[in-house]
Amino acid sequence: MVLNEMGQKISQALAFINNAETLDEKVLDACLKEICTALLQADVNAKLVFGLRTNVKIRANNADKGAGLNKRKIVEKAVADEVTSILDSGVDEKKLTDLKKGQPNVIMFVGLQGAGKTTTCTKYGAYYKKKGFKPALVCADTFRAGAFDQLKQNATKMGIPFFGSYSETDPAVIAQQGVEKFRAAKHDLIIVDTSGRHKQEEALFEEMRQVATNVQPSLVIFVMDGSIGQAAFDQAKAFKDAVEVGAVIMTKMDGHAKGGGALSAVAATKSPIIFIGTGEHMDEFERFEAKAFVGRLLGRGDWRGFVDK
Amino acid sequence: FVRSLGVSVVGTAALTREDIAGALAQLKRRLMERNVAEEIAEKVCESVAVNLEGRRLAGFTRIGTAVRAAVEEALHRILTPRRSVDILREVRQAKARGRPYTIVFVGVNGVGKSTNLAKVAYWLLQNDVSVMIAACDTFRSGAVEQLKTHCARLGVPLYERGYEKDPAKVAYEAQRAAARESTDVLLVDTAGRMQDNEPLMRALSSLIALNRPDLVLFVGEALVGNDAVDQLTKFNRRLTDLAHDQTQAHTIDGILLTKFDTIDDKVGAALSMVYSSGAPIMFVGCGQTYVDLTKLNVKSIVRSLLK
Ligand SMILES: Nc1nc2c(ncn2[C@@H]2O[C@H](COP(=O)(O)OP(=O)(O)OP(=O)(O)O)[C@@H](O)[C@H]2O)c(=O)[nH]1
Ligand SMILES: Nc1nc2c(ncn2[C@@H]2O[C@H](COP(=O)(O)OP(=O)(O)OP(=O)(O)O)[C@@H](O)[C@H]2O)c(=O)[nH]1
Ligand SMILES: [Mg+2]
Ligand SMILES: [Mg+2]
Repeated sequence: MVLNEMGQKISQALAFINNAETLDEKVLDACLKEICTALLQADVNAKLVFGLRTNVKIRANNADKGAGLNKRKIVEKAVADEVTSILDSGVDEKKLTDLKKGQPNVIMFVGLQGAGKTTTCTKYGAYYKKKGFKPALVCADTFRAGAFDQLKQNATKMGIPFFGSYSETDPAVIAQQGVEKFRAAKHDLIIVDTSGRHKQEEALFEEMRQVATNVQPSLVIFVMDGSIGQAAFDQAKAFKDAVEVGAVIMTKMDGHAKGGGALSAVAATKSPIIFIGTGEHMDEFERFEAKAFVGRLLGRGDWRGFVDK
Repeated sequence: FVRSLGVSVVGTAALTREDIAGALAQLKRRLMERNVAEEIAEKVCESVAVNLEGRRLAGFTRIGTAVRAAVEEALHRILTPRRSVDILREVRQAKARGRPYTIVFVGVNGVGKSTNLAKVAYWLLQNDVSVMIAACDTFRSGAVEQLKTHCARLGVPLYERGYEKDPAKVAYEAQRAAARESTDVLLVDTAGRMQDNEPLMRALSSLIALNRPDLVLFVGEALVGNDAVDQLTKFNRRLTDLAHDQTQAHTIDGILLTKFDTIDDKVGAALSMVYSSGAPIMFVGCGQTYVDLTKLNVKSIVRSLLK
């Protein structure tokens, strides 16, 4: 996967430390420069990246003071900790993806304009349908031209019931009607698609809060485009502050982007990435396991073991 | 940012790399924080360094001041279009020759092609230019209905043949329909595609080869990070490589930068896109309604980048 490119560069930089004869300031700076460049090229938030550099340097300097400690190990662990803290939300994603059957799971999708919400809603529904759930889709986007048709066509293709309206203009009203209808029909996975919005327009955020109030979602999923740059962190944080974002889905990972911007959303929302989208077709959708990813990223099978040492 | 570098050199010695290294490192960091792609930030800094090295500063000029001035100048130079396209004039010229002026909107998925195509239609109508829209995204669900809605609102005819048709053919037929009805401008919407998606890039290249549009507009979102460079470079390269006749290849003529209202001062994508393609930013999308389309303000971009 594309993210691995970033991981390879980080591993290389760490290997560079291991192979250097002495770990002096110059070697450390060169290594950190490599790591920071790799992260920045992947769109990881610049403040997080420069914070990483500062923190690793502080820990390395402290190591100089402490007698007998292995500086290499300390630097390696410092880098690993810092990278992990950027990539890993600390939340167990299994808790978010292992939905319980037979109870109405109401999942609300939110995100910036064009991030891939509507497409991902259907992919998500189809994924759980295969697992034996009874999904249904509610279109609470009354703003975008053709939004209901888009959801309808996708849902029909995948054989998922849907609800929406061409005349009702209040998304909170439609959302509530749709969820009530599908609850009554004993659907155990009710997916609510919403319009794209951004933090600069407060009215749009207020609308999102109203939808959330009306449908009382069991999980709010923030959908983020894998090619997003430095605006990611602030936008993600604003969404989190407005509604209870619990998970992130990163889309368009079939492109060339490395996904670091969307990774900043993890730090901003303290929520794990649970799926990634890898194409426009409905089956181009994969589970994402952050822990395994971080492990691979740093070239270690058993990453947890290393961190906890 | 350079204010912190209060060191001043008195104007005798020539500047060395070392003198300016600190200021440049800070500059690069600032540019990246403002969402300029790493590669582009590096190149801008490098060109400024080359420019300043060996230069003698006038008496009591601070290094920071000199670097700032050089950077500001470089950014202005990059962002100021080398070729300017006056669409309205070109439209009148095409009209005089009795054929519709065709604009094709291209770009990756979800950046705002269809919405901003509708905004351009609105702008043309404001300028007494008649418009037809061609629905050549025959793939994405709802794409045709999306345009239908815009056309109904704008009172503009739509040429569509539904889904799963060959977009190049639909565009071809639309051009003939526009000519028949003496429409001034035909706006061609295309499906979003990833720059590495070979079959889809091939299809786009065929559409352009077959229909010889007057203007190929690349639509890119201001939210995009480092991928901006790759998008522009690869769209241009693929359009050249895949053209039937490479000497006739038609690459990107201009850029439409969207979602400018979602990024605060992180305006760096504008710089990355222009630097990577050499194409001018012809329109800036700054909202979700028809009036949210403006021209690029180079001065304010440079100000945001350096603030
Ligand atoms: N290549 C690729 N394209 C994707 C992926 N996910 C979504 N898309 C495309 O991205 C574009 C936007 O997707 P939508 O689902 O309409 O996005 P949205 O967030 O609902 O958009 P708004 O409702 O306007 O905010 C469409 O062209 C989708 O086909 C993906 O994983 N890979
Ligand atoms: N805030 C903001 N949103 C925009 C702007 N331009 C477009 N959008 C929104 O971005 C989303 C995607 O727009 P579309 O026009 O469907 O994008 P597209 O590139 O045609 O998408 P595909 O055809 O699926 O590839 C919609 O929700 C638009 O309302 C803009 O300038 N500002
Ligand atoms: Mg949508
Ligand atoms: Mg479109």
